[in-house]
Amino acid sequence: MEGVAILGVGMIRFGMYPERTVHQMGCEAGLAALDDAGVSFRDIDAVYAGHIFMPPMTATRVVKELGLTGVPVQRIENASATGTCALREAYLAVAGGHYDRVLVLGFDKMTQVMGAAPDPKDMDEAILPAAFFAMWATRRMHERGTKPEHLAAIAAKNWNFGALNPMSQRQPKTRVTPEQVLASGMVAWPLTKMMACPIGDGAAAAVVCRADLAKRYRPERPVIRIAASHLGSERYERGHLFMGPVVGPAQMSRDAARDLYEQAGFGPEDIQLVQVHDAFVIEELEYYELLGFCREGEAEAHIEAGTFGPGGKVPFSTDGGLIARGHPGGPTGLAQIWETTLQLRGEAGPRQVPNARAGLCHMMGGGSVCAAHILVRE
Amino acid sequence: MSPPVMAAVRARVPIKGGYFTVPDDPAATPEIVVSRCEDCGEYFFPTRLVCAKCLSRRLVTVQVPAQGTLYSYTWVHLPLFGSTRIEHMEGYGVGQVDLPEGPRLQVPLAGKQTEYRIGMPLVGQLEPLRDEGGVEVVILQFRPAA
Repeated sequence: MEGVAILGVGMIRFGMYPERTVHQMGCEAGLAALDDAGVSFRDIDAVYAGHIFMPPMTATRVVKELGLTGVPVQRIENASATGTCALREAYLAVAGGHYDRVLVLGFDKMTQVMGAAPDPKDMDEAILPAAFFAMWATRRMHERGTKPEHLAAIAAKNWNFGALNPMSQRQPKTRVTPEQVLASGMVAWPLTKMMACPIGDGAAAAVVCRADLAKRYRPERPVIRIAASHLGSERYERGHLFMGPVVGPAQMSRDAARDLYEQAGFGPEDIQLVQVHDAFVIEELEYYELLGFCREGEAEAHIEAGTFGPGGKVPFSTDGGLIARGHPGGPTGLAQIWETTLQLRGEAGPRQVPNARAGLCHMMGGGSVCAAHILVRE
Repeated sequence: MSPPVMAAVRARVPIKGGYFTVPDDPAATPEIVVSRCEDCGEYFFPTRLVCAKCLSRRLVTVQVPAQGTLYSYTWVHLPLFGSTRIEHMEGYGVGQVDLPEGPRLQVPLAGKQTEYRIGMPLVGQLEPLRDEGGVEVVILQFRPAA
C-alpha cells in the first residue's frame, strides 16, 4: 500500500494542571500513541515536537522522557497550527522516503505563561484575539443577517459534543442550551464567554508511518491514511490587516480546501466529519462555507437545520472542538488527529459518526497560516 | 505677584513611534504614517520596505489624515493590556477602519457602542493614556466624524 498512515494516536485530557509539567504530560501522550501504534520508542526514526509557549530546548528535553536513543528531534512552532504543522513535517519526511516511523508530539502549559502581560508599549498587543473574532461576527451580522442565536447554537453543539469525549476539557454534566450560551456574559460583543475556547494545558501525539508498515503492525485495523496535507500563508488583498491579532484572510481557508480536495481526489461530498479552528464560534460558521460544506451565505440556514451537528449530514467539531475539548496550543492540532483517527476506525464511542470514511482537520495559526489534512480509512 | 503663565499644552508623546503623528496643536487631527508604493500606488499601514502587492522596493513614507469608514467593530468587556484610562464598566470599543487610501487599521474606539454602525465615517483623535514624568503618553483612537 502506498502513502503515509496514522499508525497510533494518544493524548491526555486537556485541562488546568498547575501541578503537572510538560515533561510528564508530553511523555504520557507519547507513550499512549506508541502503545496505540504497537511500537517501541526504539522503532521511532525521528520526532517532531511542537509547542508554542515553552522556553527553548523544551521540546528536546520532553522527548528525552521517552528515551535517549539518539533519534533526531526537531521542534516545530506555528502558533495554533503548531501540532498540525508537526504532523505535516512527519508526513513529508515519510512520504519523501527519509523515515519510516515518526513520532509527532504536541504539548503546552498555558497556565504557566498566563499573567506574563505583553508589553503595553507594543501597539500590536492593544487588540485582543476575542476582539478580532468579534469583528468577524459583527461584519457577518451586517452582511448576512446572522443572529447571536446562530452563534450560540454552534457553541452549544460543541459543548454538548465535549460531554461525550473523555479527553475534552469541558464536559458539561447537563445539556448546554443556546440560551445558556447567550446568558454566559459578554467577552467581546456579540461573543459571550461560552462562545470562546478556554485556556488550558495538555499534550497529544501521533505515530506516522509508511502505509504498508501500518498494515503489518496493526493487521486487525483499517489503515488510516493521510490523503492530503496542506500548509499555506496569506496572500495580499486590499484591506489586509498587518497589525494586531489576525487570522485570515478568508482566502487562506478556500485555498486550503481546493488544495486538499485536489490531492485527495474527492471533495466535501465524500467527507463525513470535520474538525476546525473554532477558537471563537464565528470561525466555525465561516469555515462551513470556506471549506465548501455549504454555499456562501447559507451557513445560518444549515445551522438551523442541524446539518453540522450530531446526526447531521457532516458533523463539525465532534470531539467538542477548541471551545469544549480545549486549545492549549501545541497539542491542539494533534487532538483533531486523535479524534478523526478514532472516528475513522469506528472507535469514537457515543459520539461516533456513522460510516465515517474520510475526515478533514483544519487549523489556523496566528500570523497567519492555514494547515489542514484529510484522513481516510482504507 | 501673579503666577507665570504656563503653556496650555503639556508635551505629548505617542505610545509607540512611527505609527501616527502628534500635532503640536491639540485641536489638530493626527495623521497616520503609511508607505506608498511608487510603482503600483498601493498604500500600507504600518510602513514597510517591500510592496505587498507588486513586491516593488520603491516605497516612500507619507502621512495621511486619520479618517476613514468603519468596516467592523466590537465592544470588549475584558481589560485592555496596559490601559488605565479607557477601561470602564461598559467595556471599550475596537474597530477596523478603512482609510480612503486603502489600508485597514484595528484601533480603539472612543465613546459608547450605540454611537457606532458599520459604514459610518470616523476621525482619529489622540487620547491621553498616562503621565510619564510630566509627559503625556497618548494613543490613537477613532470617533464618529462630526
